[in-house]
Amino acid sequence: MSEFARLDIAGNIATLTLNRPDKRNAMSIDLLDALRAHVASLAEMGEGGPSVLMITGAGRSFSAGMDLKAVLDEPGAPERLLGSIAELTLEVRALPMVVVGKVNGAAIGGGCGLVAVCDIAVTHPDAKLGYPEVDLGVCPAVVAPWLVRKVGAGVARRILLSGGTMSGTDAHHLGLVDQLAEKDQLDAHVAALCERLAAAGPHALTVTKRLLNELESEGLADAVRRGAELSAEVVGGEEARSRLAKIYGS
Amino acid sequence: MIRVEREPSNAGEITRITIDRPGARNALTPDMLSAMREALADANTGGYLLAGDGAVFSAGFDMKLVHEDDAALAAMLRELSACVVAMRENPRPVVIAAHGAAVAGACALLAGADLIVTNDDAKLGYPVVRLGISPAVSAPTLALRTGAGAARARLLDPALVDAREAVRIGLASESCAHVEDVIGTAHERLLNLASKPPNAFATTKRWINEVDGLDACDVEHALDASLSIVGSDEQRARVASLWS
Repeated sequence: MSEFARLDIAGNIATLTLNRPDKRNAMSIDLLDALRAHVASLAEMGEGGPSVLMITGAGRSFSAGMDLKAVLDEPGAPERLLGSIAELTLEVRALPMVVVGKVNGAAIGGGCGLVAVCDIAVTHPDAKLGYPEVDLGVCPAVVAPWLVRKVGAGVARRILLSGGTMSGTDAHHLGLVDQLAEKDQLDAHVAALCERLAAAGPHALTVTKRLLNELESEGLADAVRRGAELSAEVVGGEEARSRLAKIYGS
Repeated sequence: MIRVEREPSNAGEITRITIDRPGARNALTPDMLSAMREALADANTGGYLLAGDGAVFSAGFDMKLVHEDDAALAAMLRELSACVVAMRENPRPVVIAAHGAAVAGACALLAGADLIVTNDDAKLGYPVVRLGISPAVSAPTLALRTGAGAARARLLDPALVDAREAVRIGLASESCAHVEDVIGTAHERLLNLASKPPNAFATTKRWINEVDGLDACDVEHALDASLSIVGSDEQRARVASLWS
């Protein structure tokens, strides 16, 4: 059986890789289960575990987003898929370690939602990022609370209502990612960042991250979970079904 | 080590608060921070220009003092938090000239000002997690300037950034090409703010403070988070290693 997500730990730095490169790391229920199992094991290690977690995608993409195609015709499956991404985002945020996103390629929809949850996200100028949900008749409700916190309410409104995608350069300009490196230097740039973070006082980092989480916690979990319900409702509607059917060619 | 001077201007008298310890890169002590806070309580001035003498604005807390006594770190964190609140709640404009470098505790001061002028080659940031110290105290006020996302990334990453990046995220308001222009530019910006009708200025600033979402409890909570690890083994060992 293929491993949809890989966790590698080297010293103080853990790497979590979305590993479904033939589907551009689209988030299926299986892939989310695999990610969540690894995140749970990191959470269990607590403060004694790695002090840095780097999340990235295998192959050329970070993640193409939610794999809706696989769940559309199965009753209850869209709710499960969207509920699972909602919980994953909350679980990643709650980790005691600093979470770095290495956006190696396209990060779309739910994939880009995971980018917004990372404490520090890095990409290259040509990567494609964004939330085209509204174009598909779908509502990016799970990522909205995260994006509002990441880039501010005004910019988040513009990004989510406009749909489409943007370049890595624009994503950096808008604050969706924090650092930009040339494509051929992305690996080295992120490795240096992770080394720098891993060399900091682990206790000081944990205390700082916990405080940042406490400052933003009010209403967050409720909003993210309510977002999953809302998003599933919209996916089940006629507009979304007809648009997605066209795209999936069925 | 803190010089406070009143000077006339065409916008009325203004107050220059100068960090005057250039031999130690203007490293801050509890006494200096409390002198700064007291200087910010002048009811009759038209506004404040906070600047540093010598090569840089300030390198942050005096780590030699922290090495000798944890209580100095706790005192500086408390005074820093109070200084930021004093700038923010000040009815008069506060402009900071952050030339050369504004690092750690000195970078945290920036979050209290109305405007911050720096220069292209300046270095800014919060490298204190390297020393086992948490910059949590800055989180609520930094987030107001930069948004919560950039504040999170900035406070967790100990790297310093240049002025271009500082302006991009909103940590600084503007950057001069030449370091020698920073204080003069900041002075000009202050005179512009100080020339506004005082009641309209004070009312607007107070109203922004009310609507920008800063919660006084968050400020306390953030200070407590930084204080909670003062004197940890991690901090003592890492600060001591600066002199070994």
